[in-house]
Amino acid sequence: MEATRKKKLLTLPQNSIRIIRIIAALLLLALIIVRAMDVAAKSQFGADTWLRLSVSGLIIGGMYALIAIGYTLVYGILFMINFAHGEVMMIGTFGGYFVFEAFNAIQVSGADGSQLSFLNAYPVLAIFLAFLAGMTISALSGLFLEKIAYRPLRGAPRLVPLISAIGASIFLQNAGQLLFGPQRRQYINPVVLDRGIGWNLEIAGSTVVLTYTGIFSLILSAILMVGLYLLVQRTKLGRAMRAVAQDKKTAALMGINVDQIISRTFVISGALAGAAGVMWGIHNGLFNYFVGFLPGIKAFTAAVLGGIGNIPGAMLGGMFLGIVESLGPAVLGIDFQLKDVLAFTILILVLIFRPSGILGEALTEEKV
Amino acid sequence: MNKQSIQKSAASGLVFGIIVIFFALIGFTVVFSGLIQKALGQSLGVGQIPSMSSFLIFLGLLGIWNGWRASRQDKHETLLVSKVLGRSAIAGLTAGVLVMVYALIVGALDNRGINLRTYLSQLSSESVRFFLFNQSIVVGGLIHVLYSTVLAVVGGFLALASERSRERVKTTRESIQKWSQDRWLGKLQGNPYVSYILMGVVLLLLVLLPRTWGAYWNYVMGTVGIYVLLGLGLNIIVGLSGQLVLGYVAFFAIGAYTFALTTSPEPHNLVWNFWVALGVAVLAAALSGILIGLPIMRLRGDYLAIVTLGFGEIIRILLRSDILKDFTMGPRGVRNIAGPTLFGRSFTTDVDFMYLIILAVLLSIFLARRWQESSIGRAWLAISQDETVAQATGVDTKKYKLLALSLGAAFAGLGGALFASRNQFTGPEDHALMVSINVLVLVIVGGMGSIPGVVLGAFALKGLPEILRELESYRLLVFGALLVVMMIIRPEGLWPARRPKLEVTVVKETEQVPLPAVVGGEQ
Repeated sequence: MEATRKKKLLTLPQNSIRIIRIIAALLLLALIIVRAMDVAAKSQFGADTWLRLSVSGLIIGGMYALIAIGYTLVYGILFMINFAHGEVMMIGTFGGYFVFEAFNAIQVSGADGSQLSFLNAYPVLAIFLAFLAGMTISALSGLFLEKIAYRPLRGAPRLVPLISAIGASIFLQNAGQLLFGPQRRQYINPVVLDRGIGWNLEIAGSTVVLTYTGIFSLILSAILMVGLYLLVQRTKLGRAMRAVAQDKKTAALMGINVDQIISRTFVISGALAGAAGVMWGIHNGLFNYFVGFLPGIKAFTAAVLGGIGNIPGAMLGGMFLGIVESLGPAVLGIDFQLKDVLAFTILILVLIFRPSGILGEALTEEKV
Repeated sequence: MNKQSIQKSAASGLVFGIIVIFFALIGFTVVFSGLIQKALGQSLGVGQIPSMSSFLIFLGLLGIWNGWRASRQDKHETLLVSKVLGRSAIAGLTAGVLVMVYALIVGALDNRGINLRTYLSQLSSESVRFFLFNQSIVVGGLIHVLYSTVLAVVGGFLALASERSRERVKTTRESIQKWSQDRWLGKLQGNPYVSYILMGVVLLLLVLLPRTWGAYWNYVMGTVGIYVLLGLGLNIIVGLSGQLVLGYVAFFAIGAYTFALTTSPEPHNLVWNFWVALGVAVLAAALSGILIGLPIMRLRGDYLAIVTLGFGEIIRILLRSDILKDFTMGPRGVRNIAGPTLFGRSFTTDVDFMYLIILAVLLSIFLARRWQESSIGRAWLAISQDETVAQATGVDTKKYKLLALSLGAAFAGLGGALFASRNQFTGPEDHALMVSINVLVLVIVGGMGSIPGVVLGAFALKGLPEILRELESYRLLVFGALLVVMMIIRPEGLWPARRPKLEVTVVKETEQVPLPAVVGGEQ
């Protein structure tokens, strides 16, 4: 009797946990704002720095968004984290790299008779083919990944496909290392897309360079995102995908080949990741077999941030994460080494305070 | 032969061709041929290309497997000579032609003087020529086709022979089993003294072996022991309570760094006693388990996995960064960590340390078993089966999940402290994500929730690679493939856990069940 009464006193009413959580969130927000104002008062950075940081955040955010869409599509249909998605992106990066290398080696004579590499003679075609190659090989690897590692496990307990995905991720990463070596490689860009050149903006007495590669990546990722949105919303395939995401059994009864739709989802998400991978190479230059790991985890963060299963959410989450990652350290006055910590902290905070993400998740079944 | 059968054989051949090419591309062909050569008792210097015969054996094994797989397409059909011949020849031919195409391309590029190593790091000129049997491109390619086809046919006939003799093998095996059961195994089973004697032998080995097998093996087995500790801890979290934690290395790091900072003279000049520091490290890890666990208890499954992965990475990045430099020495790591002392005598030799690790492992196995078989273990089992149902039946899920997390973390803390003490050094790179993944792999490969499985897994994943040093660079690749294959064909692991038996006496079928007086009387 005594014990039960004591226990009653100790257990909090049902609502209080929620209230505590809200209070904690508000406190955290207040802390961040105070810290930001404190840093802003010191005015370490001028307007030019802020502009540069936000633009680079947007560019990285576009790539995160493309990868995050892949996570969201797969999660929406299979309720599993495709842990190897970052490695699919890595494969795409290598695909684009080899196309550029090959075109750089081929010599053609230019309009004025001088010897040029194919890469610089027909830059648009070369870039197009590089993206095509990267997207195709990533799409294929996504397809085979699903066939080999995930399809035999359909209907298994949920830890099983996740562990399989982790295994596939480790396998692909190490296969990449063994095949291409651990050293960092550099993308050879066509001269028109040289890294470091771009439009110069005069702001507050100093110049900000909007690099061509960055703007190109941003525009391309926007185009791809719009394309994907139209695909999902307007086409027959998109309608089938949405149907399978809502209810596999009913979709199958309506005459949809569920396995085929799942395969195609993997193909689409692989192609987007491949495009992001080629962009990553063109924009950042240096890469190696490990290139997909961090973007993969961060894109998953972005997908969770926007509400998993929700495609506009993934786009928004990617952009948001990119901007936070590049502006956050400056706003909070911490070291730029810690931007990864910032991304992970955001993931943890989102999952604690709002597990359904900014735009809410678009899952119909209860997620376990 | 129908069309479907031909297609299947060709597909099987294609897969094998791709495997052979993949092995060649990652340099596995050369390494494994070298291993075969060593196994045959011939010497091989470092970086030397192995002999042709070992390469032929390697290719032959793959070819035989190809033919075997291709000829046995359906379990229920009886194999005929014509079927086997056709199928294995098609599979061998397909694989051979694919390999030939690859060999032609690579050989031609190499002949034109292109250094393939700038793109594919394992394709040195020697290894390309080795793959072509040191012949010209065309001859080498043709040899591949011929050899693959012939060996596939051999494999097909082996499959046929094995099927023909299956009945006989089965009866022989059964008679041997029966004989051993009658003569001695049946008598030994259920005899309590046998298990005592076995335990005694194992204990004796554990006492004697560290003294006899030298410093190198003590080092290797010490690592295995520490991984057994980590595996036992993660087994509690993942195997028993069913929470997938990918950031287990965080607890390992907390244990190692707590121990390091309290015993090393360098950053803080706290030179505590070994045992006090060990206890504090374990406590700190357990406490961190609770602290990390509290906010994320609501998350389940894959969300939990990703969040804990984030925690692990945050801790590693923080340890490496400059902010904590004054506190944890940053990327340089902590040096001069104390070794164990007992009654004023320091025992830091490898043998002493091995004993310490063995002691820790035995103690941990004992504790883990006690927990697993107690009511706590049953609560964990209930949670891992179905959390909602467990909660509905009155299990305080939050409490037991936190308990699992902190107990598992305590094991990691112990492992981390011993690891730091043995190496007398710990740095941020000791605590990379790979540690978490290694431990997870050993728990899963051994069998989730099974303590003997953890020990077996630790030996398989940390001990075997030490023996097969040449295969070191392929270790992670194999891990990854193993995880996928394991999940597909044997998700319960090598040594699956036995469920605790229900303590209910089952009514025997022969017993008379009293019939109701009026059958179907109630409507």
